[in-house]
Amino acid sequence: MKKRIISVSVIIAAMLFVFISPLMAAEFPDIGPLPERKAPNPKAVELGKALFFDARLSGDAALSCATCHNSEMGFTTRDPLSEAYPGSKHWRNAPTLLNIVYKGKTYGWDGRLDDLDDMLRDMITDSMNMNMDMQLMQERLKQDPKIVALTKEGYGDKNMGTSQKGEMTHYVARNALIQFLETLTSKNVPFDKGNLSAKAKEGMALFKGKAGCIQCHNGSYFSDIKPHNTGVPENPEVFKDPQRHFTYVAYMMFMGVDNRMNWRRDVGYYTISKDMKDIGKFITPTLRELKYTAPYMHNGMFKTLDEVIEFYNKGGGEDRPGLKDSAMKPLNLNSSEKEALKEFLLSLSGDPISIPMPKGVKVEYQAIPNWKGVKN
Amino acid sequence: MKKIFIFYILAVALITVILSWGVVMAEGDPDMDPALSALPEHPPIPTDNPSGKNIYPSKMDKKQELGYLLYFDPKLSGDGSISCADCHDPKMGWGFSDPISRGYPGTVHWRNSQTVINTGYLNKIFWEGGTTSLEAQAPAAAEGAVAGNGSRDMMESRLRFSPEYVKRFKEVYGSEWPLIEDAYGAIAAYERYLSQPNTPVDKYMKGDKNAMSAKAVKGMVLFKGKANCAECHNGPMFTDEKFYDIGVPDPSEFFENGIQQVTFRYQHYAKGSTEDVYRSHKSDPGIYFKQKRQEDKGKFRTAPLRYSKYTAPYMHNGTMFTLEEVIDFYDKGGGEDRWGNKTKIMKPLNLTKDEKEALKEFLLTLSGEEIRMPVPKVPDYAPMADWQPKK
Repeated sequence: MKKRIISVSVIIAAMLFVFISPLMAAEFPDIGPLPERKAPNPKAVELGKALFFDARLSGDAALSCATCHNSEMGFTTRDPLSEAYPGSKHWRNAPTLLNIVYKGKTYGWDGRLDDLDDMLRDMITDSMNMNMDMQLMQERLKQDPKIVALTKEGYGDKNMGTSQKGEMTHYVARNALIQFLETLTSKNVPFDKGNLSAKAKEGMALFKGKAGCIQCHNGSYFSDIKPHNTGVPENPEVFKDPQRHFTYVAYMMFMGVDNRMNWRRDVGYYTISKDMKDIGKFITPTLRELKYTAPYMHNGMFKTLDEVIEFYNKGGGEDRPGLKDSAMKPLNLNSSEKEALKEFLLSLSGDPISIPMPKGVKVEYQAIPNWKGVKN
Repeated sequence: MKKIFIFYILAVALITVILSWGVVMAEGDPDMDPALSALPEHPPIPTDNPSGKNIYPSKMDKKQELGYLLYFDPKLSGDGSISCADCHDPKMGWGFSDPISRGYPGTVHWRNSQTVINTGYLNKIFWEGGTTSLEAQAPAAAEGAVAGNGSRDMMESRLRFSPEYVKRFKEVYGSEWPLIEDAYGAIAAYERYLSQPNTPVDKYMKGDKNAMSAKAVKGMVLFKGKANCAECHNGPMFTDEKFYDIGVPDPSEFFENGIQQVTFRYQHYAKGSTEDVYRSHKSDPGIYFKQKRQEDKGKFRTAPLRYSKYTAPYMHNGTMFTLEEVIDFYDKGGGEDRWGNKTKIMKPLNLTKDEKEALKEFLLTLSGEEIRMPVPKVPDYAPMADWQPKK
């Protein structure tokens, strides 16, 4: 009897899938498992890993990449709003780095950076992130015999920004960090392995159908990598805390946004396009590994997946007429459907990825012996 | 014949006039040297950054007062932890007491930090003399990677979130919001306030013959004559603001200190040395960086000597800790000719012990009382009055 109920519900789910999903999914790239990628050079990865945890990549050696992209916390942090360089405070949530190599373009919540190398350059040099001078960073790294040796091993046949093969430069440093990011990809994801519970399958049908998530969260990366306004409420902390507010104002100055003293909202993609219709749009985030990346949204306003699902179920948040995406409509999901959807969302996360800080990471510098006798 | 005679008369007259102006030409002298003289009562005030002509210790005007706050405010640095006063500390002669300046946290500078006192009278600032106004010096220091490492956007935004600054900038500049350029202008105005034109040597030159001891007067004669200091250290600021290699030795910090080696290479890389120079040089090549000319290697702008009583250690790399060491260095005819650019002016002086003491006595008359100002309470941040989010 029980078996029959299950099989009936599976049939119903399958029918729903067959009838509804083509209506939606046909217009959008289908979701699917992540494709294989070429394995990166392990020596370059080792160098990149050392750099990822190295605070000397920041101006005053106070923070490393891992400070805001903590491997114990899904390569983000638990704070709604990210940490930032000392003397400033961030106004956005730190996005995860997991699977970022699959994104391929349009990095950052407002999609400011089109290339992973540019993204790294800006994270290292931006005054609110690591506030580092690239040339000074290069010379710091050249002072560390361990880094010099790793560079020779990983890049012995390459010269990037130098006449010398195997020499550390800021080009090499960013390349090695990209090689390390290549290793931060999902492992053993139930969805990718086709290993979904019945409930998760029901959730997938909703994802593609009634809930309409696939309209933006599509492709194997679960994102169209386009800007949308879903009406996420502002995080009041951004404006209540003058340090966060002036960091945001500094960013708008840097980006040439007008009227910057008067905005009391995150203008999002408008920062890039300067087109009023783009106010409040943010690039669709991936849904992969979201089990580990709470809180959610560009400003961390939602603590749990349930809150996120509830938000979409209501048709999103409020905004001025014409700004919110027309795809946002009340979904009328019942509690069982919401649970199914959540079950599916959780199936997009694989084994936890934890990368312990390598040994011997330090902020001091050894003197080069026989300084006068050796070449720089 | 008559014409030639008239020409001779004119030439002799011209030379007489030049000599009577007090212009001195020493033996083998490549140029004419302005005479030593008293400082004007206040430094020149640029027309594009007007401020009061008042100087320390009189009351500051509004712009100088704003500059005073900004000078001591760590908001004007990358991580909000250091201010101008951290490398130009009133307690350290408005410079820094280590041979090499401390630099930004996580870094170290690579040259000696110079005093701020009397810089309003200079036309060339920094050891390379490449900056020609205090208004241009402030951003170079606040934004340089091994100095303040601040970004304009961030620093300007910080000032805008201090209601007291908003009020003060409005009063001084009439602007709705503080602008970083105006902050640099106010700092420059404050630095002009930090002038000291009434030292013993100034009083002496203005006619008060009791202002200097007999020994100091003897030192002044040596300064202009046998020791030949006035060849380069001349004019009211005791500098010709020209460039010379005198063979100052390399500081030991470069050999012993890893972080110092980082900064050394960084300067070469950032200032655009050729690859060969970047890879092979181990000494500071000074104004070579300006035009990358071999004949400029090792040259630095002549240091002003005023306020030097309080500004030890000396030289561009702080390798000399006392005035005695400095005098001995010149007495020996300077240091090693590292680049083939060492100035011919440097020759052994054969000064006696007595003469060295007299010279030192004179050098000390170039400083008045020590100038000290307390660290002010700098303005706090506050949220905007209408901070509440709105869509």
